[in-house]
Amino acid sequence: MKKSLLTVLGVIVVGAAGAAWIATRAPSSSFDAVAASGAPSDDLLAHGEYVARLADCVACHTTPEGKPFAGGLKMGTPLGAIFTTNITPDPETGIGNYSLADFDRAIRHGVAADGHRLYPAMPYPSYEKMSDDDVKALYAYFMSDVEPVVQANKASEIEWPLNMRWPLAFWNVVFTDGGVYQAKTSKDEMWNRGAYLVQGPGHCGSCHTPRGVVMNEKALDESGPEYLSGAVLDGWYAPSLRNDPNVGLGRWSEDDIYAYLKNGRNQHGVVFGSMVEAFNNSTQFMTDNDLKSIAHYLKSLPANAESTDVAWSYDPATADDLSKDVADNVPGARTYAANCAFCHGRDGRGKNEWIPPLAGVSSMLTPQAESAINVTLNGSMRVVSNGVPDAYRMPPYREHLSDQQMADVLTYARSAWGNTGDAVTAEEVAKLRSHTDPASIDVIILQMR
Amino acid sequence: MKLSINNEVHDVEADGDTPLLWVIRDNLGLTGTKYGCGLAQCGACSVMVDGVVTRSCVTPIDSVEGREITTIEAIENDPVGKRVVEKWVEYQVPQCGYCQSGQVMAATALLRETQNPTEDDVAAAMVNLCRCGTYNAIHAAVKDLAGEKGGA
Repeated sequence: MKKSLLTVLGVIVVGAAGAAWIATRAPSSSFDAVAASGAPSDDLLAHGEYVARLADCVACHTTPEGKPFAGGLKMGTPLGAIFTTNITPDPETGIGNYSLADFDRAIRHGVAADGHRLYPAMPYPSYEKMSDDDVKALYAYFMSDVEPVVQANKASEIEWPLNMRWPLAFWNVVFTDGGVYQAKTSKDEMWNRGAYLVQGPGHCGSCHTPRGVVMNEKALDESGPEYLSGAVLDGWYAPSLRNDPNVGLGRWSEDDIYAYLKNGRNQHGVVFGSMVEAFNNSTQFMTDNDLKSIAHYLKSLPANAESTDVAWSYDPATADDLSKDVADNVPGARTYAANCAFCHGRDGRGKNEWIPPLAGVSSMLTPQAESAINVTLNGSMRVVSNGVPDAYRMPPYREHLSDQQMADVLTYARSAWGNTGDAVTAEEVAKLRSHTDPASIDVIILQMR
Repeated sequence: MKLSINNEVHDVEADGDTPLLWVIRDNLGLTGTKYGCGLAQCGACSVMVDGVVTRSCVTPIDSVEGREITTIEAIENDPVGKRVVEKWVEYQVPQCGYCQSGQVMAATALLRETQNPTEDDVAAAMVNLCRCGTYNAIHAAVKDLAGEKGGA
């Protein structure tokens, strides 16, 4: 009896010691033994700047009015709001004192130099796939070419005991893959480069992959069927990037994907919602080869097995009947004719690649109507391509249409021209109207991504 | 790019995404068409493309290549447009006049499509904004045109 008690005690002690070790250890870095080297070469700095574009660091680590990379952007988590940090090389308030190994631990392992764990709002489960070369170049860029900014980090609004960070070490054990991207020999070079960019620095899954109950992305690569299968975040539905014909990229060619990421638009649509930021700050700066590799990789992802969608095809009846629908007071038809048709067309086809179609686009076909509602309420952000702002932009209809009018017109558009999206209710519109009103007490702030 | 405007073909040097309104006003000097909101909300920039009322501020020129564009300058060459202008004069519709070329375009396009529009048809088609509030006069003129014997 005494002996078994001792055994149990022993197991507990060893277990606790192991757990404490996991919770407090600093993960090893491949740069631990690397001594600080001299001034970085121009090539290395250019490479680092490019990696910063790929990883779109600026999107979260900068506020709209703030200095680049000085942090301070508020992000929502289920536990309370957190703020992005200053990643400029200021020694006091930024990362100026970080060694390459410290930097690597933060980027790829989610551990800051003082040992505290980062929240996975920082996409280190994706960044850990980044190569040593890319991390090294990124470090050189941040240390040499980013302007130091003195700006203290803001404390998170998560309260004790939930603000303890050590449990994240266990989250990391369960929900990260562990390791740099390993090329698949069965695939060609282009596929591997695309997979690296999408899974690693590009962290596409942060928005496009659904998350589990503890905010973990349900898959981190193509081995999981839910990888990039679409998710709602920040009041937008980031659609599936798999090959489903209606809710995914099934009807897009590799050239279409390339054009979308390069120019922000193609015949299927124009970037809107959070994707505007990804385009403005990141994808348009990628090389043609990288963009084509991304397209190549995405087109290799199969449609969801349970997808029973019949591929959308255009039905001209709506365009022919619009005047009759207006006369017959079909709900939404008059609002469509007076507010939407001048740009998107009575035929729903938009105007070339400049004004997107509503016929056959995923926001009009997905069961999730968030993106359609949000863009109608709040309009679209400025798309800046090659330094030139777009000539045409969706205006906000927040003050113009009631919840019911907006629900009706979206229901009309989501069932017109062969579209098969579900009806939109006034309640759904009212909810998002409140969540996206800056004056509201329950406004949506950036979630993890 | 070649654009056919008021039955005349113009060779226009502009990018495909240039709004038609800019080309009409700035390149061709046809300033009867007005810039209002630039967002397809007000209708001041209305022209007709193949007889259908179109807001030129949100119309990239590469989407109207090869189609017939009619602006207010040529509206009286259209028999329906001519009658609309006559009624506009008879009812003394305009006040400041800024929105009126768009209003005339909207009325002409309506009456070309529907000879005897109902109240509902008129309400659905005449959605251009007017800061002076000439809506009652517009309504009276269009109602008169809508009831014309033998159609407008």
